[in-house]
Amino acid sequence: MSAVTSDPPRTAARQAIRQMPVSLLVVLGLIVLLLAIGVIASPRFASLNNFRNIFQQSAALGFVSLGQTIVVLTGGIDLSVGAMISLTSNFTSGWIDGDPNMVVPVVVGVIALGAAIGCVNGALSHYLRVHPLIVTLGMAAILQGCTLLYSLAPVGKVTDDFEAFAYGRIFGLSYGGLAMLALFALVGVFLHRTRTGNAIYVVGGDARGARLLGISVAWTMMLAYAMSGACAALTAVYLVSRMGSGDPWRGDGFDLASITPVVVGGTALSGGRGGPLGTLLGVYLISLLNNILNFMDVSTFYQWIVQGLIIITAVAIHVEKGRRA
Amino acid sequence: MIVEAKAISKSFPGVRSLDRVDFSVSAGEVRALVGENGAGKSTLIKIISGAYVPDEGELHFDGGNVKWSSPHEAQAAGIHVIYQELVLFPEMTVAQNIFVNRQPRNSLRMIDYRAMKTRAKALLGDLGALIDVNEKIKRLSVANRQMVEIARALDSDAKLIVFDEPTAVLGGHEVELLFAIIRGLKQRGVAIVFISHRLDEIFEIADSATVLKDGKLVGSVPIAAVDRNKLVAMMIGRNLADIYPPKAQEGEVGEVVVDAKDIVVGARVKGVSFEARKGEVLGVAGMVGAGRTELAHAVFGSLPLDCGSIRLVGQAVPKPSPTRSIAAGLGFLTEDRKGEGLFMLLDLAANVTAPVLETVGESIWLDRGAEKDIAQKQIRDYAIAATGPQASVANLSGGNQQKVLLGRWVISSRTALILDEPTRGVDVGAKVEIYRIIRQLARRGLAIIVISSELPEIVGLCDRVVVLCEGRKTGELAGQEVTENAVLQLAVAGRDAMSAGRSA
Repeated sequence: MSAVTSDPPRTAARQAIRQMPVSLLVVLGLIVLLLAIGVIASPRFASLNNFRNIFQQSAALGFVSLGQTIVVLTGGIDLSVGAMISLTSNFTSGWIDGDPNMVVPVVVGVIALGAAIGCVNGALSHYLRVHPLIVTLGMAAILQGCTLLYSLAPVGKVTDDFEAFAYGRIFGLSYGGLAMLALFALVGVFLHRTRTGNAIYVVGGDARGARLLGISVAWTMMLAYAMSGACAALTAVYLVSRMGSGDPWRGDGFDLASITPVVVGGTALSGGRGGPLGTLLGVYLISLLNNILNFMDVSTFYQWIVQGLIIITAVAIHVEKGRRA
Repeated sequence: MIVEAKAISKSFPGVRSLDRVDFSVSAGEVRALVGENGAGKSTLIKIISGAYVPDEGELHFDGGNVKWSSPHEAQAAGIHVIYQELVLFPEMTVAQNIFVNRQPRNSLRMIDYRAMKTRAKALLGDLGALIDVNEKIKRLSVANRQMVEIARALDSDAKLIVFDEPTAVLGGHEVELLFAIIRGLKQRGVAIVFISHRLDEIFEIADSATVLKDGKLVGSVPIAAVDRNKLVAMMIGRNLADIYPPKAQEGEVGEVVVDAKDIVVGARVKGVSFEARKGEVLGVAGMVGAGRTELAHAVFGSLPLDCGSIRLVGQAVPKPSPTRSIAAGLGFLTEDRKGEGLFMLLDLAANVTAPVLETVGESIWLDRGAEKDIAQKQIRDYAIAATGPQASVANLSGGNQQKVLLGRWVISSRTALILDEPTRGVDVGAKVEIYRIIRQLARRGLAIIVISSELPEIVGLCDRVVVLCEGRKTGELAGQEVTENAVLQLAVAGRDAMSAGRSA
């Protein structure tokens, strides 16, 4: 039995550190380690410009992983984010097609579309009781099919203003990277400080218990997958702004890529534990790693192999922890 | 009356769980709800708390007629159930768990953690529980987890709190603490429903008791108006004295069937010899860890024999294995009912005939008709409370599941049957049935070996008892010598001798 602690009022920062899970400290340690390796590997690594680049390059992975985090917190998984990015990227450039007046409606439209499709994912997996793995895998095939029916090649073009999302900078920091940070903060507050956000953890912890306590599991699941869909669409918008147009295979590889930072950041695949802070550190860790591998002239194929190893290792470490606890 | 249920009925596929049951509790009353497993207690609780919708009958709560559409609706109205499996989230803190979905919020509708912790501390303080509200649930003891659930119920102004076997997971001191809290709740005017299999507790804490049997109401009585025997008689519908069947008569016991000599299994069994005879029930008694289960496994061949010899029906078994033992007509019902292989997804008939598939029909196709006949005979012979061979095994109570397993072994055992804790987790009524079946099998000429931790069972059921202590046989009792006291003495004898030896 633990005694009531007569604790003095803690500062928020001290409390945050005290409650920070060990896994986050491990990720921080790995980031420091990678920084050291980077300095040794290349003289050009440790430059302000390079760090600004990493900050910029992490945006796409950050958006999509943030959505994935929310879904994984419910105990689910979203394997349709890649196809979702492909679909919405081509819609974005195809529908804007160089018309400045179309930018706002199209961006709002594709994000809403992403949310709606995500909502369907959540509803299907809840009401049909089909594991989200299968639902979202099926949805991925459907979305990819739709993408290719719409166009077999990149279509349309974007306006110059639109490219600012990817290339614009303030104090040398890219808008995209800042937007990603802001969104992480927003989602963090949502999950931590609202009942609805809290419900995502509760459902991920024990869906039966959540229902007994009056939480609508259906609504919570739909919300989580809708947020993931919206995040994937936002990723597509960002990528279109960076590349100048969409591509029917733009999202290829993002399913796995979006899960890696989540599990590296300590969010449990079983749900109910973890959060955006860990994923953010995971995103920077992966971005840093890819950056260093680029400096070392390691081929992209090796980067894939490394990514595969990382995801398996990260999950294995957490499973082991679970057994000991 | 806080809650009044009138003529409630509820059926499930294959089982009529409640049959026109009346039930009520008043403010400040502790009402014990008693009955065997499968009597309908859980169903009644789930109907009162909105988890099930009754087929028939009326539910009144706080003066009005109610029809709950969800457990949450009942909860919001003030009905809380503290289930044995607590509804807690291990990764969240104590405070977060108390206020799930009801967190205090500030003017911006953001969760106010400071207010939440202050209120959590106050609630737990009221209960006299010393629990850090920032601690994660997974780091708390079971007793403290229960406190957290009680605190959650209090915060939402519970008018009725149902405790579903709360003491099953608690130690003695913790039970006392819980009772102190229940008395406190009672004084605040909260109505309490208390479910427990331990009669002592019911007499200590309850004001009145409602007894259910087979889904029917036996009666509701003030606790002062009954004694232990009366209550048990109400629960099982017969007197305590009729629980055990008469023992073996002279002449009914025949030749030695199982002859085990100097059995050694690792460090758990250190040279035990015993014999079991045709027509008798041999008990193997001892404390937990005395080596009873290991001895049984060694005889059956499911644990390797380090030393010693075994003869079955006069034949030496050089290297015992389950296959050889089954071929020799030996059966073994282990203490692990689930792992033993009840196929929860299959129906009763398939479960009963699982180990004797080759006898069900001649061709490679299963003879469903023959399967059904065997199952029907089992249901009749063993009084299994199921609607028929097609009944789902998962819907049966623990006692009835055990009878299904017992039936399975009876079909394949011809010479001897070892039963490890045959009545664990089984209610009184099913126990009586199982004892009757065991004795009937002995009469039929089997040697029965019963391992049990329950002294009354050893004494009431067995003709002869072998007592183990720390891997050694400390004695053997027969006939009139078999008393609880004598068995207990032998069960701790070796231990005392050893500790005496050590201190000397």
